[in-house]
Amino acid sequence: MALVTLEHVTKSYPAADRRAEPVTAVDDVSLEIGAGDVFGIIGYSGAGKSTLVRLVNALEPATSGSIRIDGREITGLAERELRGIRLGIGMIFQQFNLFDAKTVRGNVAYPLKVAGWRAADIRARVDELLDFVGLADKAGARPDQLSGGQKQRVGIARALATRPRILLADEATSALDPETTHEVLTLLKRVNEEQGVTIIVITHEMDVIQTIATKVAVMDRGRVIEHGDVFDVFSGPRHPSSQRFVGTVIKGVPSPAELAVLRERHEGRIVTFSFRDGDASQAQVFIDLAAAGLEFELVYGGINDIRGRAFGHLTLAIRGADAAIDRALETVARHADVTEAR
Amino acid sequence: MDRLIELAPEFWTAAAETLYMVALTMLFGGAGGFLLGVGLYVTRRGGLLPNVVVNNVLNVVINFFRPIPFIIFIAAVQPVTRAVIGVGIGTDAAIFALSLAAAFAIGRIVEQNLLTVRPGVIEAARSMGAGPWRILGTVVVPEALGPLILGYTFIVVAVIDMSAMAGLIGGGGLGYFAQLYGYRQFEPVVTWAAVLLIVAFVQVVQYLGNWLARRVLRR
Repeated sequence: MALVTLEHVTKSYPAADRRAEPVTAVDDVSLEIGAGDVFGIIGYSGAGKSTLVRLVNALEPATSGSIRIDGREITGLAERELRGIRLGIGMIFQQFNLFDAKTVRGNVAYPLKVAGWRAADIRARVDELLDFVGLADKAGARPDQLSGGQKQRVGIARALATRPRILLADEATSALDPETTHEVLTLLKRVNEEQGVTIIVITHEMDVIQTIATKVAVMDRGRVIEHGDVFDVFSGPRHPSSQRFVGTVIKGVPSPAELAVLRERHEGRIVTFSFRDGDASQAQVFIDLAAAGLEFELVYGGINDIRGRAFGHLTLAIRGADAAIDRALETVARHADVTEAR
Repeated sequence: MDRLIELAPEFWTAAAETLYMVALTMLFGGAGGFLLGVGLYVTRRGGLLPNVVVNNVLNVVINFFRPIPFIIFIAAVQPVTRAVIGVGIGTDAAIFALSLAAAFAIGRIVEQNLLTVRPGVIEAARSMGAGPWRILGTVVVPEALGPLILGYTFIVVAVIDMSAMAGLIGGGGLGYFAQLYGYRQFEPVVTWAAVLLIVAFVQVVQYLGNWLARRVLRR
């Protein structure tokens, strides 16, 4: 059974004034997030992903639809009951949202106090958490004495304090430089793998998804337009918006502009071969082309690795008799997807 | 100068009256203003406990009383003073009027300073399952403590100013002393002695406020 289930969830805000239309931030979204997943939700700003994640811990009530956490329906629950639900869901933020007036220890201890833990237990748990995120020496420091990466690590320790089963990460690395981003993502991966915490990652950066997510949903104007295994979405994005996101991290089929440049520089027919899973089919393509006596060169593309599974798109310029090329492409089509640029 | 030396007992009595009025005004007005400010803050739209009716009522009440010049307010409020304190004149009556006027001003200052707390921090506390009163007490007020101290410091200085008008209803204090023995008796030295002591009070209060705020902000 899924840990988080959304069914036809919609969130709309009333119109700002009489002339304006009501704003639908989340539009009829249905998703299932399994225990142990790192579920990425990607979209441009304004796509509704931040609102969607706030529906999961009921910081905002859904307008309609059903949201179940571990089988329990949370829509329509009273605020007091929702507080109990929120204790089981941690959240980290783009701007970290640490309490500036409290020390690092005070920040991490806060949710434990809310949960009613005993002082001695809080102390031990905070030590354990700071150790886990590598900030044991910063317990007495104040947030303004920390770097961005350290602040987010405190945020993660604080979010995990009450041992929640779910962690919501709202653009958690968007305010960080690439190296620090990597550090924080590695930590989140450990949280998922070592503590079995299900993580929902909101981002507009595809490489965040590529680095840690196992499942991904692409959002556009409030709707989920495509979702599935990260490998499937990356290796064969169907929706134009998904293709654009995938294109930011992966060299796939050349765009028309890129194609024009390629044609200028290379003679012959420009053909893209797409591979999934394994290198055997890739080798076979080259063997087939060589056996047909064709001359070819690699002009564009790359091979990618997502969680240990490889896929790629290689664009070749092929020269030779047209009939021979056609015959060779027919043979190759048995091992790889063939797209010829016209 | 000789006159000032003659008046030394009256001068120190007046100084003590001023300190007494300001201290009690800050105690009662400070507490009342804090409650007003918190009320405004939590009931506003998108606040911790949004309530349009309460918010509007508080806003109207504060906006009604705050622009009234204190010298008029102290007279206008006299029937209420008499009902609450028992008498309409004297130091205690002045403290009542001062506290009331200060509370309305403090209410606004408290509201403004609480609003400086980043909404994200409040959202973080909500995401941890904290309720509105807990968030107010353990997140909002501590996060806004530095600016709150500076806001209260500002008000202490304003109350010292207002307390000079307490003489109007027989409240005494340095303002009354300067009027009675300095201005009306053509004794500029006496007037200036009162002025300098008031300036000294303000300096000390501002210094303490800055020091405390800096300690709280730890910067």
